[in-house]
Amino acid sequence: MADFNVTTRGVGPVRVIDLKGYLDAHTAPELEQEFNKLIDHNDYKVVVNFDELKYISSAGLGVFMAYVETMRENKGDIKFSNMQDDVFNIFDLLGFPVLYEFFKDEKEAIEKFNQKEKS
Amino acid sequence: MLSLNNNAALRNLSALVDFSNLINSNLELEFTLNNLLLTCFGKFHTSKGLIALANVNDELIVKAYKGITPQVLKNFPHSTLNAIENNNELKNFLVQNNLLLSHPIEASGKKIGFLFLGRRLIGKDYDYEDVEFIKTLVNIAASAIENSIGVERLKNVNRDLDQKVNQLSSLFDLSKEFSSILEIERVGKLLMYSIIGQLLVTKFAVVTCEDGEFKFIENRFPSDQLALALSDCRKDNFTKPVYGDELLKEFPSFNSLGIEMIVPMQIKSETKGLIILGKKTTRNNYSKSDIEYISSVGSLAIISIENGRLFKETIEKQRLEKDLEIAQNIQKNLLPNKFPQLKNFEISAANYSARQVGGDYYDIVPLDKSRTLVAIADVSGKGVQAALLMANLQAFLQSICKQNIELSQASNLINDLVSENTTDGSFITFFWGILNDENKSFKYVNMGHNPPLLISEGKISKLKLGGMILGVMPTVIPYKSESVQLKKGDRIIFYTDGITEAMNKDGLEYSEERLEKLCLMHELSGSKDTLDLILKDVKEHADGAAQSDDITAMVIKVN
Repeated sequence: MADFNVTTRGVGPVRVIDLKGYLDAHTAPELEQEFNKLIDHNDYKVVVNFDELKYISSAGLGVFMAYVETMRENKGDIKFSNMQDDVFNIFDLLGFPVLYEFFKDEKEAIEKFNQKEKS
Repeated sequence: MLSLNNNAALRNLSALVDFSNLINSNLELEFTLNNLLLTCFGKFHTSKGLIALANVNDELIVKAYKGITPQVLKNFPHSTLNAIENNNELKNFLVQNNLLLSHPIEASGKKIGFLFLGRRLIGKDYDYEDVEFIKTLVNIAASAIENSIGVERLKNVNRDLDQKVNQLSSLFDLSKEFSSILEIERVGKLLMYSIIGQLLVTKFAVVTCEDGEFKFIENRFPSDQLALALSDCRKDNFTKPVYGDELLKEFPSFNSLGIEMIVPMQIKSETKGLIILGKKTTRNNYSKSDIEYISSVGSLAIISIENGRLFKETIEKQRLEKDLEIAQNIQKNLLPNKFPQLKNFEISAANYSARQVGGDYYDIVPLDKSRTLVAIADVSGKGVQAALLMANLQAFLQSICKQNIELSQASNLINDLVSENTTDGSFITFFWGILNDENKSFKYVNMGHNPPLLISEGKISKLKLGGMILGVMPTVIPYKSESVQLKKGDRIIFYTDGITEAMNKDGLEYSEERLEKLCLMHELSGSKDTLDLILKDVKEHADGAAQSDDITAMVIKVN
């Protein structure tokens, strides 16, 4: 069975989710749980760091779709960072760049949240 | 003058070389077209230009423009490549926008589009040389344009292919996962994630159709309204994906909920569920390939959902079986497990339920040193409901036995008690009697039961006296009892209709006559032998046909 790991850390008011390994139909429920926890704690500003994610399937992508509206309704968002090219290609293929912000580096994504906070 | 001309020619030539190098260095269509326009602008001092290329249907589509506002461009008339000469709308558009020059773009001997240029700002018209120069430029550009178009098509094909590959890998991923899960909720969730991830929809529902009813597995539409819209439909309304005009026309109530697509989930072309989808958040319409994907995921999911349902049913059935097994044990314990040893009577009995639990009952209860009560009963109906009433009867009988009441009075009482507990027309045929071990007498009351056979000296008499069947209504006419004097060698055969109505494969019943004949033939047998004889004969008659009713028999032999 392919490995998958999801952990969350706080950077100021932003939560960063680190994904590792293979996010597919089998492992998608783990990510779902992580999002549920964030919502329970009223954490709506989320950056997902894909640095160590090797593969993502539609079921994995679906989790982001399922939670993005909740985050945005609560003045937050889900932003993506540190994505490897082949993973980004899947997002791109399915039209995600129209709906989500992608950043080269996690810091830029966090900065974007903080800027908004100040303005 | 000559040198001036030479200089101009040289400039032209070097411009052409530059242009050729430039546009062949890049395969982007936009880059090529922009450079063609800019080169023309620089050379002829014009500030307006547009390039329209034919699409696969030969319609002219503007691919590049400069010096023209997008608003103006909106009015670019529809025209096919070949109709351009006779298209007045197009001519008007060109005149209005001062696009004086039109030049065809040809590649591989085929017209592929047009270059339109505005008037020259220096006031001069385009002369012969200019047109020749444009011709050369366009010729150089044409092959680059053709290459770019080819590359662009290839990119599109590649993207389509990538999308297919992606859909396939998603299907593969899901089929792997679906085969290992049986919880319907989890299947629904994964199905939903895959669809919204693949198609970027946020409004959707997954429903199953069971026994003509729709059940939500996942739903992001207003539940009440969706349920209302579905209540007007039967599952047979959905045999193929419904969308677009058909959805609008056939199912307006769905359309008003923002539903754009309904795809049935089928097993062996029977609709077992629906995937209901709203608009894609990218605002694109659903493509053919999207619909194929949804149908495929749906088919995978519904098999998994169906398996889950069957699994649940099996578990539930097993639980019921287990319950019945326990009930069976309890019921067995309600029947006597050991028979009293009597001086003058030898008693044998047997009971076989058609199902795990049954409605037949017999009992043997010692009342005092000399008297023993025997009883046999058949509760109407079969299975659990009969078993419950049987247990009720057993409890009444056991407690009445403790009270030393005269038999016919006891009969009135037990009928009153049972009548209070019977509903829906259920009843019990019941027979009981008291054996006296001192004087070999037998006092009995028959309450609608098959009359036991008293066999004495080769003759059969039937123990019929009593009264109304047990449990139909409270006692109005008191039950009558009868006392018979028994002699050594007499036998009494008690049985339920499971014996006499046991059927063979042809539907022929065992019958009372055959039972009576059998009992007479073996007059000297003991009680156990007689019982075994009867059971064996019934079994032989049935000849493998399934036992449809509970069977009970009891034999008393007088010693």
